[in-house]
Amino acid sequence: MSSWYEKLSHKVEDNAFKLSVWSAIAVLVGGLVTLPPLFLQGTVQKIDSVKPYNALELAGRDVYQEEGCFYCHSQMVRPFKWETDRWDPTRQYGDTPYSKAGESVYDHPFLWGSKRIGPDLAHEAALRGSAAWQVSHLKNPRETSPGSIMPAYPHLFETDNMLDTEVIKARMSALRILGVPYTDQDIQNADSLAKNKTKGDALVSYLLKLGKDTMQ
Amino acid sequence: MNDKIEYDNQIVRMFVICILLWGVVAMLMGIIVAFQMIFPSWNFHPWLSFGRLRPIHTNGIIFGFTGSAIFATIYYSVPRLLKTPLWSSSMARVHFWLYNLTIVLAALSLMAGYTQSKEYAELEWPIDILVVVWWLLLAINFFMTMKNRTEKHIYVAVWFFVATIITVAVLYLVNNLAIPVGLTKSYSIYSGVVDANIHWWYGHNAVAFFLTTPLLAMMYYYLPKHTRLPIFSHRISIVHFWSLIFIYIWAGPHHLLYSPTPNWLQTVGMLFSLMLIAPSWGGMLNGFLTLTQAKEKIKTDATLKFILVSLTFYGMSTLEGPIMAIREVNSLSHFTDWTIAHVHAGGLGWVHGICAAAVYYLVPRLWNTNLHSEKLAETHFWVSTVGILLYVVSMWVSGVAEGLMWRAVDASGSLQYPSWVEIVNELFPYRLVRALGGVLFLSGFVIMVVNIIKTTKTAGSGFNPVDLREGSKA
Repeated sequence: MSSWYEKLSHKVEDNAFKLSVWSAIAVLVGGLVTLPPLFLQGTVQKIDSVKPYNALELAGRDVYQEEGCFYCHSQMVRPFKWETDRWDPTRQYGDTPYSKAGESVYDHPFLWGSKRIGPDLAHEAALRGSAAWQVSHLKNPRETSPGSIMPAYPHLFETDNMLDTEVIKARMSALRILGVPYTDQDIQNADSLAKNKTKGDALVSYLLKLGKDTMQ
Repeated sequence: MNDKIEYDNQIVRMFVICILLWGVVAMLMGIIVAFQMIFPSWNFHPWLSFGRLRPIHTNGIIFGFTGSAIFATIYYSVPRLLKTPLWSSSMARVHFWLYNLTIVLAALSLMAGYTQSKEYAELEWPIDILVVVWWLLLAINFFMTMKNRTEKHIYVAVWFFVATIITVAVLYLVNNLAIPVGLTKSYSIYSGVVDANIHWWYGHNAVAFFLTTPLLAMMYYYLPKHTRLPIFSHRISIVHFWSLIFIYIWAGPHHLLYSPTPNWLQTVGMLFSLMLIAPSWGGMLNGFLTLTQAKEKIKTDATLKFILVSLTFYGMSTLEGPIMAIREVNSLSHFTDWTIAHVHAGGLGWVHGICAAAVYYLVPRLWNTNLHSEKLAETHFWVSTVGILLYVVSMWVSGVAEGLMWRAVDASGSLQYPSWVEIVNELFPYRLVRALGGVLFLSGFVIMVVNIIKTTKTAGSGFNPVDLREGSKA
């Protein structure tokens, strides 16, 4: 005897077209219910102090992407005491010192990460806010952090890794199309901010932007 | 009746060679990055640093190694199951070359640092377009072959391929939408929370529809063909197919627990992850129950051993995954090596097991000869199984230890391990064992490659299925 679901399945399983259509419906339902609500207003609570990356910081973010930093470093402080104690030991992020949606509204793409081989960087500006420390650490991580397993990036500071301001401007214009509120002046500032700077300088500038806007 | 149909074996042979080639390359990348995590001096060159090689390892295993096995199986099994020649052999060849061009471009561009920075969706937009083209060629060829079928019944393996081809297309197109700035750079059109959710809807379902459904199709094809026994239950097939593809899609947000993702979405992700246990175990049970009908063969047949261990890891991973999707467990496991243990139980255990069975099933038939050495296949099985155990157990211990050290507090309530490097040092021995487990696993794989190369040397000498049961003569 066939059960009800066998009869039901028989109606589609031997018909290539019906099988494909019903499979498509089965898989689309979950996406249609869970994803579109995100685009509706109100999902992301804005944080007024969070500003878009300036030209140099954005160039640094691109370097962060190129080097795959996010494979080892998360940018996501979870709401646990042991997390906020570790990533906000001096209480510079108020009563709720964990990551908020409003902090990453200008992040195309998001770089929250999925693995912490190294420490979280969401509050880097507060935790290790010295540019000199960051430069030294990037050039040789074991100099500042003995025992670190991070790769060294001295080459990023060499002259064959100079930034191209025209490329940065084109990238900022693209992000403006996606809704990042850059003014013409913001984009023009690439000429001064990124002039004669290396990829390494840009990366340091990006790292020092992480958590800067929400610090109190 | 089958004899009258001309099957295209050449395209299958081409993809089988790719399974072996991309398998070795991608696993070698895995070993290098494993050693880089214990010896940073292994970051030899800017192009070969951890952050550049890791995506080559993951993409290479998923799309290179596993992809080749999926395509080999589609081109071999679908025409046979539907009793019709492949609709277009030349289209399959275009697919083959564009696909391999993609893999090469992917490896080079990732080494050069061109990346969208979304896990398993790193490739930049020109390569994405290339992928869409050959996926479309595969889809057209597949559906036209289905249209021309002379077999009325569509077997469950084909259902899983249908779901794979449709769903991967949808996921890929939506998640990769980006605005290009030059040939080698683009920005995701989504940002922050929205980007994260769309990405993990994709990422989780890449596991579902690239590493699970097509692999289940392979299990449903090779297991009954190899044992010459019917699949245990068609009813289980029906229930677990429809429920699996329906439920999987919802589970993505379990990658974003405790993040600023809306709470209701996190709960949906967690609940659907738990629900996934049932359809996943349905597939595992159908495999196990089919296998038990041939249990006297398992003892002496490496192919069946691979399927047995593969199903065991499938069952274990699909229980472990939902458990890790429970908020409280996730608070411990997330961001740690436990996740790495989980994906490798699935990857080394489940995915590789089914793919190895596919290679051992296909090669003698495609090259019309017997396998060079059953004994070497047996050695491959044992070496890789020990490798998996070393890998997975060391990463479990490492992950749990890491998670516990992150949250450990002393009597005064302050963090017991405030120094990150101190924690990293504690994990050194586990990560060393993991790397050695990986070396062992690749050694097993190389044994298979040697065995296959030697097998092809006797191509055309005639394939006679051997009954490997103890006491029976060939």
